[in-house]
Amino acid sequence: MKTDVLVIGGGPAGIAAAINAWIAGAKVILIEREYRLGGILNQCIHNGFGLHFFGEELTGPEYATRFIEMLNKTTARVLLNTAAVKLTKKDKLFVVSTSGEHGLVDIEAKSIVLAMGCRERAGGAIGLAGERPAGVFTAGFAQKMINCYGKHIGKKVVILGSGDIGLIMARRLKCEGADVVGVYEIASTSSGLKRNISQCLMDFNIPITYNTTVTKVEGKKRVTGVWVAPVDKNWKPIKEKAKLIKCDTLLLSVGLIPENDLVINHPIEISPLTNGAITDEQGQTTMKGIFSCGNVMHVHDLVDNVSHEAARAGKHAALSALGKLRSGKKIPVQHCDKIRYVQPTSVYKSDADTAHIFFRVKQDYRRAALIAYSDGKQIARKNCMIVTPGEMQELEIIKTRLGSDLVIKVEAF
Amino acid sequence: MEKYEVAVIGGGVVGASVFNLLTRKGVNVVMLEACPDVAGGATKANSGIVHSGFHPEPGSLMAKFNVRGTQMFDSMCKRLGVKYFKTGTLTVTNRAGFSELQRLIKRGEANGAGHMQLLNRRDLLLLEPNIADGIECGLLASNGGYVSPYLLTIALSEEGVINGGKIVLDYFADRIEKKGKLYYIYAGKKVVAAKMLVNCAGVKAGYINKLVGDTVFNCNYIKGEYIILAPEEKDFVKRPICMLPTEFGKGVFVTPTEHNVMFGPTAKCCKPDDTGVEPESLDYIKQQSLICVKNPNFKKAIKLFAGVRTKSGFDFVIERSHKNPGFYYAIGICSPGLTAAPAIAEHIVAMMKQDGLTLHDKTLVKRDVPVEFRKLSPAQQKVLVKKNPAYARIVCRCEQITEGEILDAFKSPVLPTTIDALKRRLRVTMGRCQGGFCTSYILKLIESKLNVPMDKISIKGPGSEITLGNIKTGGIYEN
Ligand SMILES: Cc1cc2nc3c(=O)[nH]c(=O)nc-3n(C[C@H](O)[C@H](O)[C@H](O)COP(=O)(O)OP(=O)(O)OC[C@H]3O[C@@H](n4cnc5c(N)ncnc54)[C@H](O)[C@@H]3O)c2cc1C
Ligand SMILES: Cc1cc2nc3c(=O)[nH]c(=O)nc-3n(C[C@H](O)[C@H](O)[C@H](O)COP(=O)(O)OP(=O)(O)OC[C@H]3O[C@@H](n4cnc5c(N)ncnc54)[C@H](O)[C@@H]3O)c2cc1C
Repeated sequence: MKTDVLVIGGGPAGIAAAINAWIAGAKVILIEREYRLGGILNQCIHNGFGLHFFGEELTGPEYATRFIEMLNKTTARVLLNTAAVKLTKKDKLFVVSTSGEHGLVDIEAKSIVLAMGCRERAGGAIGLAGERPAGVFTAGFAQKMINCYGKHIGKKVVILGSGDIGLIMARRLKCEGADVVGVYEIASTSSGLKRNISQCLMDFNIPITYNTTVTKVEGKKRVTGVWVAPVDKNWKPIKEKAKLIKCDTLLLSVGLIPENDLVINHPIEISPLTNGAITDEQGQTTMKGIFSCGNVMHVHDLVDNVSHEAARAGKHAALSALGKLRSGKKIPVQHCDKIRYVQPTSVYKSDADTAHIFFRVKQDYRRAALIAYSDGKQIARKNCMIVTPGEMQELEIIKTRLGSDLVIKVEAF
Repeated sequence: MEKYEVAVIGGGVVGASVFNLLTRKGVNVVMLEACPDVAGGATKANSGIVHSGFHPEPGSLMAKFNVRGTQMFDSMCKRLGVKYFKTGTLTVTNRAGFSELQRLIKRGEANGAGHMQLLNRRDLLLLEPNIADGIECGLLASNGGYVSPYLLTIALSEEGVINGGKIVLDYFADRIEKKGKLYYIYAGKKVVAAKMLVNCAGVKAGYINKLVGDTVFNCNYIKGEYIILAPEEKDFVKRPICMLPTEFGKGVFVTPTEHNVMFGPTAKCCKPDDTGVEPESLDYIKQQSLICVKNPNFKKAIKLFAGVRTKSGFDFVIERSHKNPGFYYAIGICSPGLTAAPAIAEHIVAMMKQDGLTLHDKTLVKRDVPVEFRKLSPAQQKVLVKKNPAYARIVCRCEQITEGEILDAFKSPVLPTTIDALKRRLRVTMGRCQGGFCTSYILKLIESKLNVPMDKISIKGPGSEITLGNIKTGGIYEN
């Protein structure tokens, strides 16, 4: 099989990339390993999607459906039940070996869009000690069992980590009659959205305790309890203060990791901060012809941002395949030390009219001004009453204002 | 009630070795195992090292069976189609430990442990670039290497069944009666009878002796905890790397497996059923492993686990009962019990023969080695997919295990019905995501192919089910 652009992954990122690559004039194939498009959205039956893109609060499947309908109007080819297993390079082409409904098929493409999403960090990765009984779930897996399979997974639940999925699952489990004992977060602030703290926890009287972690799981066959202990400044649990909480279920919401295994052996620079590929403004990675967007590039909290970002990556992947990609002078995006990372890491002086810089701050800052400087002058600014690490920030840069450098800073106002 | 010539209690590597050998000698034998799968005890949770035999005290049973076991490993694994990585093992130390290494060589020579060689730092670095800065010398023992202890046990069990043996899983022997010439072994209301009885019950071996009314041996239980890293760290070491043994045991190792690298074990007194990892142990393992190696990437940890060693004095206890004719026991089979298992089996079966059990050689029916789809060439893969399209459906994305391989496992002579049983056979849920993605598919497959309702599917037997009933009836859920 041959195509101009091959999009790998059919979540919101892959769908938006495919649509926009097609609009830009390329021949497009999208492959998705599941039996349907939509990615993680299919299990997110809560609302809150699409506020920015559609000005409405949609559920995950509704949001996905809108995009799938747009995709259906294009002639992009969609292969479901098809997983990309290997990426190789043959002369100027990329060859993706796939496995699935059509057997083992190699697809040749001029450019590739990576949109594989992410996976959840599991207990071993955070050194969760104790026995290994049933009843320890990652939050997303629990969400799938409840929302897609209609199954109860526990009666008395402790949640470790305050990622968005954990918060949403706290509410979901409560609605299904479970006793949600509480959410424990090792950091001093939540890694989830403020709106989820208030709508999923406060509204349902579910307590959240910061600077606290689970050190050990009890129970041989099924969880019978977990040890919870406050931590010191270095996140070391204070053993003397540990206490046992009886429960039958522990949900882990301790982070998402971009699924970049497919490109691990290629010269694509992966950021140690995001675990995603480093990309420029056009969504291109450090390997020419390979683009990345959505959760496989950096973990997003709003799907609307995913769709925007993926649209840009899809468009430029098409232009690259068609030999029309404009580049020009690249300006690296620098940032102050209050910021954990920025994406993209470079912008072009010309090309598009605007560039969107996404970033996350390292900790909570009150009355914070997010400012983009170029040649010492402010070229974009947002004043926020509070910014938190759980919320991705964005600044729009008008290209005509861009000088010779670009620095993003967080300042008090 | 079923009657057998021999019943083996315990489906660990020792029990499975005895069972396997008896089936190959045409004996009508049953193996009774308390867990829903074989290898449910110490055999699933150890270092997997095939030791060359310089550790045990000369003259001990440990020394004898270790060395003989290592000699048997190669041909046994070839016959079974189990991968045995004959890398040798490396023991490393700083300059002060040099004389101790020389002592180990002497001991190894006394035991007949095969080729051993002293190496200086330069030679060591050529073999293992990641050894720690303080390491100045090492002992390379060429015999031995590593193996998957549970795949070996599964293979021994499967081959045994194919050759006429019977395995009863979920069978916890809780009462034993001797009437006439027969032992009656009960598990609740179930009962099995046999003329001869072999006790290979691991941590519960003392308990079985008590049930028979035989000599009770005092045992200590010592837990060993481990950290496993993600597959991308696999090449960190090429062979098991050990520190100098101390009076407390062999110390913390850095050991490769076919797919990962592990650090451990610790050695802590514990209760026989305590396989929990203590939070404090993690730092200890990390610290200790730095004696041998440099910059291990513990950020890539994906799993912690622990296994329990059973010790009775300083040596294995492998005997025929003098009180109860036809009763044999293997007690205190701690390390190097995995290595020694084939030799222990040989010894026990020889005793049984002396006591009147008839053995005869028969033609061996070979075991089908399971397909590992991801390891085949593209051409071989295409052929298989043509025969069975399920090989093109990937279920476990981290380890790239296909539906075809799971369906194959459902045809195994020792049927996997739990998530852990499938995991040990195929590696599903063992990768980076630890089952976050694939568990739901596996549940569906077990439900539809083995006809087990989802709420009855467990991780490791009753009480460890994953789902707890329907949220609502009706509705449109995935099917
Ligand atoms: C639980 C949860 C709650 C959320 N809540 C909200 C919310 O309320 N509001 C909001 O705006 N946003 C929310 N988000 C964020 C948003 O949904 C995600 O950021 C977005 O879905 C990411 O899209 P994606 O396409 O990058 O990844 P995914 O949706 O994960 O899609 C990736 C797709 O790629 C496929 N794939 C992966 N590897 C391969 C391969 N090798 N071959 C073929 N296919 C492959 C996968 O099967 C999957 O379908 C939530 C996210 C989660 C997880
Ligand atoms: C941490 C650790 C590291 C080790 N490292 C190594 C090494 O590197 N190399 C090496 O050679 N050896 C090693 N060993 C030793 C090796 O693992 C053991 O010697 C070996 O696994 C013992 O096998 P087994 O069959 O005797 O016991 P087990 O594997 O424990 O099997 C006993 C079986 O009996 C069953 N059972 C118990 N009671 C009953 C009952 N009443 N009815 C029915 N079934 C019952 C149990 O469920 C279990 O499956 C290590 C051990 C540990 C714990």
